[in-house]
Amino acid sequence: MAAIRQSGRNSRLNKKMAIWALFTLMVIIAVVMLYPFWYIIDNAFRSAGQFDRQAGHSLIGWKELFANLPVAAQLLNSTLVCAASIAIILIVSTTAGFAFAKLRYRGSGMVFLLVVSALMVPLQSIIFPEIVNLGNVHLTSSYAGAVLVYAALGTPFATFLMATYYRGISDELIEAAVIDGLGYERTFLQIAIPLSLPAIATVTVLQFIQIWDDLLVALFFLPTNQRTITAGLATLATGRTTSIPPLMAGSLISAIPAIVVYLIFQRHLVKGLTLGMGK
Amino acid sequence: MAQIELESVTKEFPDGTTAVSSLDLAVGDGELLVLVGPSGCGKTTALRMVAGLEDVTSGTISIDGRPVNDVEPRHRDIAMVFQSYALYPHLSVYDNMAFSLKYRRAAKAEIRQRVAEAARILELEPYLQRKPRQLSGGQRQRVAMGRAIVRQPRAFLMDEPLSNLDAKLRVQMRAEIAQLQRSLGTTTIYVTHDQTEAMTLGTRVAVISGGVLQQVAAPQELYRRPANLFVAGFIGSPPMNLIDARLERGGAAGDDAGPVVVFGPHRLAIPPEVVAAHPAFERYLGEAIVLGIRPEHLHDAAIAGGPVIKLPVRLREELGSEVQVHGAIGTAAHVSADAADDLRSLATIVARMDPRTKIAEGETAEIAVDTAELQFFDPASGDSILA
Amino acid sequence: MSLTEAKTATAIRPAVRRRGRSGRAAHSRLSRRRRRAGILLSLPALALVVALIGIPVGQAVYYSMTQWNGITATWIGPSVYTALFKDPIFWRVVENNALLLLAVPFAIGIPLVIAALLNEHVRGWRFFRSVYFLPTAISWVVIGMFAQRFFAATGVLNNLLSHVGFGASATDMLAGEHSALVALAITFIWSMVGTNTIIFLTGMATLDPTLTEAARVDGLSRTQIFFRVTLPLLTRFIQFSFVITVISAFSALFSLIFVMTSGGPGFGTTTLEFFIYQAGFQQVQFGTAALYGVVLFVIMAIAGLVQLRLIKPDDGGGW
Repeated sequence: MAAIRQSGRNSRLNKKMAIWALFTLMVIIAVVMLYPFWYIIDNAFRSAGQFDRQAGHSLIGWKELFANLPVAAQLLNSTLVCAASIAIILIVSTTAGFAFAKLRYRGSGMVFLLVVSALMVPLQSIIFPEIVNLGNVHLTSSYAGAVLVYAALGTPFATFLMATYYRGISDELIEAAVIDGLGYERTFLQIAIPLSLPAIATVTVLQFIQIWDDLLVALFFLPTNQRTITAGLATLATGRTTSIPPLMAGSLISAIPAIVVYLIFQRHLVKGLTLGMGK
Repeated sequence: MAQIELESVTKEFPDGTTAVSSLDLAVGDGELLVLVGPSGCGKTTALRMVAGLEDVTSGTISIDGRPVNDVEPRHRDIAMVFQSYALYPHLSVYDNMAFSLKYRRAAKAEIRQRVAEAARILELEPYLQRKPRQLSGGQRQRVAMGRAIVRQPRAFLMDEPLSNLDAKLRVQMRAEIAQLQRSLGTTTIYVTHDQTEAMTLGTRVAVISGGVLQQVAAPQELYRRPANLFVAGFIGSPPMNLIDARLERGGAAGDDAGPVVVFGPHRLAIPPEVVAAHPAFERYLGEAIVLGIRPEHLHDAAIAGGPVIKLPVRLREELGSEVQVHGAIGTAAHVSADAADDLRSLATIVARMDPRTKIAEGETAEIAVDTAELQFFDPASGDSILA
Repeated sequence: MSLTEAKTATAIRPAVRRRGRSGRAAHSRLSRRRRRAGILLSLPALALVVALIGIPVGQAVYYSMTQWNGITATWIGPSVYTALFKDPIFWRVVENNALLLLAVPFAIGIPLVIAALLNEHVRGWRFFRSVYFLPTAISWVVIGMFAQRFFAATGVLNNLLSHVGFGASATDMLAGEHSALVALAITFIWSMVGTNTIIFLTGMATLDPTLTEAARVDGLSRTQIFFRVTLPLLTRFIQFSFVITVISAFSALFSLIFVMTSGGPGFGTTTLEFFIYQAGFQQVQFGTAALYGVVLFVIMAIAGLVQLRLIKPDDGGGW
């Protein structure tokens, strides 16, 4: 009896130690994950000299950033390109997802597979035919080309996600609407869309982060004067030698919208990622 | 109010399965017809064809004499209650009930009045602003009913509307549906796999198996004169005892030479009035038949009279209001399509007896048979020997 | 009407279906509307994907066998592929991709451990989870911006090393061909932590807790439970994250390389995807770019086919 109690006390002690060890480990990992953000924030508020000395703070880095990069205009470009692309993705993926899940026709399975298999195509593989094609129809001189490319790249996964979601909605619900007197189109608008708001939120968040953070399309499909903030920052980094603080300031300002969206919609993002996609 | 007719309606799916084959049914104005059968028998497909949710492969469905094969569901003026209730989760109870009226462009005041009326009848008034997920199962079921009622349709179609409720609630809602249907007088087709539900609800009951209509009749008729072995085995709980037997000419002792049914060591003389009602017996003399005996037609010989058979008692089950006695019959039981019934494969028959019976397990009991109620079936066709 | 009929009916068709969801009779009338609605609603997605992905794939295959500068294309033929496999530059680039694969076990193993730690649900685990997932929201450009400062001669890493007494070993990792690739790989591993931890944590949440409880009652230690029970049950999720990680390593690092090293020094960090960019934009050899594109596409397609098998639509639930 005493022995058991003794070992009980020991194991309680061990357990406490283990929890503390675990906690410490998690703090260490958190520091590793957060350090880059701290570094970026810390050095965004320095001048070149302060950066070299790693001492003192100022707003000189920000002044340099705004002098070298049309930050406000590029933030606006990012916003517009994101909004337009996401709008197209949502329209085509909800309609197609609903059709593939609830309005199946002969060959719809094949069409679904065709759309989803476009996921496997990396943009790099087709980038030059794409640029030439869109250039031929004069779409690379405005937002339109990039928006279309983003929409096409986002559609396969969004369609997959929406179709999966709509499959989870009971057929009886759709049939009830049909008997209640709605056509399929109105059933889609009145029943399917309101019910799929969580999935729509997931697609929106996922695509927002993806498009906002993208460099490849922004760099090659947008005219120089309509670049997004991410593309602007990348060109600033590789362009004429600039000091580090403005680059950190630019990193900070370009990352903030995506971080805010992430913090607010974390739940939706997690759901979308686990449905099968990397970044 | 409407009459619904199905004329040799057949449904084949593209993969070649025939869900319903050549179904003929007529549902009278204001009638509640129940379609009953084991799961997968085609009853739901039949209902969905009436609703217009499935295409008819061949045959005609008409409502009030007008063929509706090509009419869209929304123009058939029917309301359906689904097994899952199919309530719109994003709409309140009120909006769920008002939904179809809105799309039929009813006047606002009319909608409000009809929903209020339905809510009153179904006692849903306190819940009108709630969402479906905030309701209990029984309340959801009521909303589904309410959604059908406000439409004031020509017919209700109900697809297993009670199967998602617990047993007690099911009995209560069953009674409510019956009352509601009677007071509204709306033609109703009701699909269920539960034969008790079918018997208690239906004006008439249609038994379907394997896509084929087996019998359609009033509940009592169905119970007393099942058209074939399937219906005999399906309707009634515990089911009818079915035994492989022979029909022989009796009277070896020189008395009345009427037919005798023989199974194992047992012989039962068939009463003259039964013989008179079955002239076809003449053809079956010396032939194999299937004998059917309802459990309640087997009594303790100490309590009730009648021809007696002696059976070793395997099991005595106390149910309070009655006692069920399982006796070995000393011969093979008939293995019907409903072969899963292991009691019969154990070659025992079940008797429902007066609770005062003293019959005990292990003894050989004297059991009186109500021979006037015996049923006879042709073993080849399975059909009842009626005439 | 008879029982025998009914019997044969069920015997021939053992599973008479209650409802036919998949496909309707081709020429039935009521379903025509539904079919038309289905085709109409799925058309925009199909058009978009075919026009902007499908057709360019065909073009890429064609142009890969030409000499092309964007305006005029001269046909060469399939011999470009045999020539490619003899090209030492191609193998130098492929070598970089192969070396990047060495990072994959770390990009999976570290998140696996982190997910296991989070799954212990110690106080504040939700906060830690948010922190660990954060890199998923950050663009490769920003990550690359920091990584460049981190690995530079006067950067954070060397600073750190000199503080703990290894000042003598200070090097600019981005200056050496192999060390630059290592720096790239480390950065890649760091930024995959978010995505892969999410996948594993979700996987662990789907596990039946009674299994680990049973193992605990049976006397297994926590480490034993992790290796003998949890890990085998996570196989599907590990395969899935493996595919995602490989796809990312081969086709998502353009921005990181662009910002960190521009493919250098030399060919040190030029992977297939980055060489496509160099061939096209720096040398205006669109044909060569398309050729490398086709090779990359084939690799991705193989990974993608594995992925499609792993994300069967029916497994997608869990809302």
